[in-house]
Amino acid sequence: MSAIVWIGEDAPPEQLGGKGAGLARLAAAGLRVPPAFVVTVDGYREAVDPRLRGELERAAAAISPDAPISDLEHLAAALRERMLEATARHPLREALAAAYARLGETVAVRSSAVGEDAADRSFAGEYDTHLLVRGADEVDARVRECWASLYTARALAYRAGRSGELAMAVCVQQMVDARAAGVFMTLDPANGDRSTIVVESVWGLGEPLVSGTVTPDRFVIDKVTGDIVRRDVVAKPYELARHGSGLGTERREVAAPRRDAPSLRDGELAELARMAKRVEQLAGTAQDGEFAVAAGEPPDNVHLLQCRAETVWSRRERRPLVGQRSALQSVVSTLTKEHR
Amino acid sequence: MTTAPTSFQSPYDVATPEGAEGWEQMYNWYHQRGEERRAEDEQRFWFHDRLHHPRVLAPYDEIQCECWWQALGAFNTRILPMPPAHGVDQRIINGYVYVSPVPADPAQLQARAEIFQRRAGHYYENWDAIYEEWKVKVMARLDEIRAMDFSPLPDLEDDSVIFDHRGYSTGYKMIQDFQRLVVVMYETYQYHFEMLNLGYAAYLTFFGFCKQAFPNITDQAISRMVGGLHVDLYRPDDELKRLSKEALRLGVDDEVTNAGSAEALFALLGESEAGREWMADWQRTADPWFLFSTDAGHPGGYHDAKPWIEDPDVPLAAIKEYIALLRKGEQIDRPTERVLAERERIAGEYRALMAEEDREAFDEVLKLARTVFVYIEEHNIYIEHWMWATFWRKSRDLAAALHEMGAFDGPRDMFLLRRSEVAEAIYDIVAAWSVGSRPRGADYWRPIIEERRRIYEVLKAWDAPPALGRPPEEVNEPFTVMLWGITTDQVAAWLGGAGEDGRTLQGQAGSPGVVEGPARIVRAVEELDDVQQGEILICPATSPSWSTVFSRVLATVSDVGGVMSHAAIICREYGIPAVVGTGRAVSSITNGQRVRVDGDRGTVTIVD
Repeated sequence: MSAIVWIGEDAPPEQLGGKGAGLARLAAAGLRVPPAFVVTVDGYREAVDPRLRGELERAAAAISPDAPISDLEHLAAALRERMLEATARHPLREALAAAYARLGETVAVRSSAVGEDAADRSFAGEYDTHLLVRGADEVDARVRECWASLYTARALAYRAGRSGELAMAVCVQQMVDARAAGVFMTLDPANGDRSTIVVESVWGLGEPLVSGTVTPDRFVIDKVTGDIVRRDVVAKPYELARHGSGLGTERREVAAPRRDAPSLRDGELAELARMAKRVEQLAGTAQDGEFAVAAGEPPDNVHLLQCRAETVWSRRERRPLVGQRSALQSVVSTLTKEHR
Repeated sequence: MTTAPTSFQSPYDVATPEGAEGWEQMYNWYHQRGEERRAEDEQRFWFHDRLHHPRVLAPYDEIQCECWWQALGAFNTRILPMPPAHGVDQRIINGYVYVSPVPADPAQLQARAEIFQRRAGHYYENWDAIYEEWKVKVMARLDEIRAMDFSPLPDLEDDSVIFDHRGYSTGYKMIQDFQRLVVVMYETYQYHFEMLNLGYAAYLTFFGFCKQAFPNITDQAISRMVGGLHVDLYRPDDELKRLSKEALRLGVDDEVTNAGSAEALFALLGESEAGREWMADWQRTADPWFLFSTDAGHPGGYHDAKPWIEDPDVPLAAIKEYIALLRKGEQIDRPTERVLAERERIAGEYRALMAEEDREAFDEVLKLARTVFVYIEEHNIYIEHWMWATFWRKSRDLAAALHEMGAFDGPRDMFLLRRSEVAEAIYDIVAAWSVGSRPRGADYWRPIIEERRRIYEVLKAWDAPPALGRPPEEVNEPFTVMLWGITTDQVAAWLGGAGEDGRTLQGQAGSPGVVEGPARIVRAVEELDDVQQGEILICPATSPSWSTVFSRVLATVSDVGGVMSHAAIICREYGIPAVVGTGRAVSSITNGQRVRVDGDRGTVTIVD
């Protein structure tokens, strides 16, 4: 497998990691995703030589599951440091720079972990995501940080005492200059209603929302009729935006009336709902994902950034409400149940 | 912060408005409060029935609420029987109708459910056939009252009384016809409830099933899976559209659109062949399709609401508008095929989202809901429009005849008498006519009528409180919620006052969307002409005969009705927001005020 694969090219999903495989699925379905490439799992193996991988794994395996947190943190920091230093002159540098050059100026570099458990945590922001990265050297450094993020304290604690090969793909994605961004789910996480699409959004970049540090606007859309059945629009006093220098991000104040205005327009919500529904149909199971809305008009300004299987409700066993029952039995039950 | 009260004013503490003393004589005694039932009444929850009787009742019109008081009650309590619910009790207070659902004894629930299952099952299984029988029964009653003639009595009886061996006088016939007129209306109400509550129970079942499977599903989405059939209720509007096309085909469209009034138009059309042809078409169509009440709210509730057939300027205005649309090349027909295809798509998609084991049960309740829904939508045309429109017409004929024969000073005075008093007035007139002497008539009734007219005017201006007595903690009686749109939230809002400083009204989300615009209050059909493009319609309720206004307005707000009310259904069809059952939008909002209508949450906010 080649070390770098473009989204849209044929590649086995296990080579792309969770995020990369999700993006590949979206692109294959003709849904709007920003151009991106993936440094594959084989790419990781090529860049991080077996000797180094063995060394890091042995150190990680030696830690006791009951070790104090501070010990874990120290060890994790040391292992990440070691990874960054040892990969400083990795063999993929030129290929990575060339791919980046094709993508354009500003990119997001996101770790795309292998394995389902890893995918769970990546959604919660456990692994690294770097926004607004510019320049080949910067991209290279961020890719290596993604590799190094295999060794966070929490990951170590989880893996303590377990064996198995560790690997990490990395996704490099053209940055959508987000006017607003957020997440969607193709069911209602509060009650498991599968006829519902829930969208949460904020002004600017979606990261503060994903990491749970701000209260977003919330929209509930009926998957079948497309009606927006609920809008909870909140004050959004801050947004994460491109830094004035063009590099990195900064927290910026949002003034009224924009502060109190809905961060998504109806046309954008409609396009999101359409894409979310399609994503779910393709996967055959409930999905959640991230999106960004650029300047311009819907539907063309709405981009999916990633998606994956919803896990909480999808794993729960679905019990039938009533099972087989005649209409008459249903009527009698309706008329008597409130009063039992 | 003050805590909201948990109870409304006692119905026994409601005072008579100044100048309306003695109003009790205008209504039947059994319909009113009585000290002997005070303790019981005060423990019950009463709400003003703005759905059926938004305005003060004229004494004669008490017939209307008595019809459903008895018939609904008998079917729920004694016939079906409806397991959790008895009938809906009524009290008239200051001329306004207050109602209170009566729960069945919980200890009887299972026993009643077993009987219900057997009896309801018979109707559900044979629904379409029973409905066909039903139409025959009701049409026979309609024909009977349609044939009644309440002209002033003749000086000398016709030859036919002799040569046909009729054997009785036309005076006796007037006495008898009036009794029949009233009794037939009561009889028709038996049929009205023969099927309606069963229909609602089935619809409610489907509704509950969907809510259970999809907690977030909207009431609108549920109704879209069931409604949309080409039912007779839409026929009057369809006939207007057809007449509009005919006017264009016959080349009389200019005459129609330029006409100042229906009267002037008909005079003009009489002069040409094409004009006469179109007019003949109108007349053929008018009976029965223009026996269509323009009453705001529940049609047929009041003697003074004119159906299209008596107020031809109303259908004419709609035809003018349709012709204008046709000239612009627009499509005016109801997109029935599309609505039906959409109904299948929506039901199919929800079904697919359901746990597999539930899909068969879903199919069953959906099928039943669709079967009964035709009746739920259509019975209005037979009873509320045709029967009542005819009943009130005949009543007005009688009132005019009695006036002419000296019973009353005015042609509408009769409506200030209770129905038993009308029977007395007829007897007085007929007796005098028979013996060739002078009735007591107007001399007797004059002071009574004058006093009542004065009281009636005072009561008209009285602001009837939305609720009285002690509300239940949860409003879960199915018909209260479904029919009147009264929910636990609504009761809480009433208890807490009209919302923050009275600027926000809470109703039910009838049709989704949020818009802002200038308000236009429409209390009756005469005010429809004032509605301008881009306004927000604020009304007690809407009527199917108002259909053309919905292409003009941005949103609709009504005082009464739930999600199955006409206002909600029609707005969903037109894709405009609606908030229904706000209780007091008409009295809280003034013309031209900017309001924001949130059809997603069911709120209306006065913005300036």
